[in-house]
Amino acid sequence: MNLLDILTKEVIAVPLASCDKISAIRELVQLLKKSGQVSDEDQVYDAVMIREAKGSTGLEKGNAVPHARTTAVKKIAAAIGIAPNGIEFDSMDGKPAKLIFLIIAPPDQSGTHVALLSEIAHLTQYQGLIEELAAARSADKVLSILQGEE
Amino acid sequence: MSEIVRRILVYIDGTEHAMVAAHYAVCLAKTLGAHLSALFVVNTQALGALVKSRIFLEDEEMEYRTDLRADAERYLRHVHSIGKAKNVPIDLINISGSVSVEIKKCIKEKNIDLLIIVELSKIQSRRDQFYDETERAMCSVPCSVLIVKDGDRVYPIYDHLD
Repeated sequence: MNLLDILTKEVIAVPLASCDKISAIRELVQLLKKSGQVSDEDQVYDAVMIREAKGSTGLEKGNAVPHARTTAVKKIAAAIGIAPNGIEFDSMDGKPAKLIFLIIAPPDQSGTHVALLSEIAHLTQYQGLIEELAAARSADKVLSILQGEE
Repeated sequence: MSEIVRRILVYIDGTEHAMVAAHYAVCLAKTLGAHLSALFVVNTQALGALVKSRIFLEDEEMEYRTDLRADAERYLRHVHSIGKAKNVPIDLINISGSVSVEIKKCIKEKNIDLLIIVELSKIQSRRDQFYDETERAMCSVPCSVLIVKDGDRVYPIYDHLD
């Protein structure tokens, strides 16, 4: 399984309406709920925030990868938020997050969860790609960039 | 025993699809009279990379490592039962490290002449071509590789195996 197997334009927020970390995570969780992948929105949100309380998933160069495991999903689910102006995310380098990957997995799918997070870690090494994604103005554009068609 | 295939290795990747590969491997080992090994690699290289990239905390890495080891045991127990039901003994190998490296190492150590793997992820972007660990192993192992697809066809073959 890879990221493009589970991403659809319904779970890509371009741009995110939120201006802060907590609202952005809530907005992405709501997208997953609307897409029918989440049974209990609050349970997912709480799981992500508990993980964030242990240490921010804001990485370097404008990327953030909030994630959690919860029984509120039956299959691994992902949502992407683009914040062109950046959102303060307690990132490692202090820079605001422009690209937020939310990954939610059921507790019994650790292998798939690790594989997907690894793919995103790999993806974030392509600085040009990250910049392209952060500049995207539609969900379709995000998908086509990820497919390498741009 | 077949002269063409004497020692088979099936790679179990921790997905349900891998069970299709395991069923097929049992059918093939029984039919050819080949020795069958099943390998599960707890991908500690990926876990380490996630800590390094700060996506994982160290505590989180430990938690996932424990869960993945439990998954490995669970999947290999299941593979053992798939073989046992058809009187095919399976050498179970549970190891930690890099998936492609450990597959290659196992093939060399056990003189494997056929690697059976699960259906690869569909390549959806050019980057995927360079990322998939199983595909990397497939390209670099010295033996022949068989990719198992179509579980709907595999399970009846297994069921009808004497």
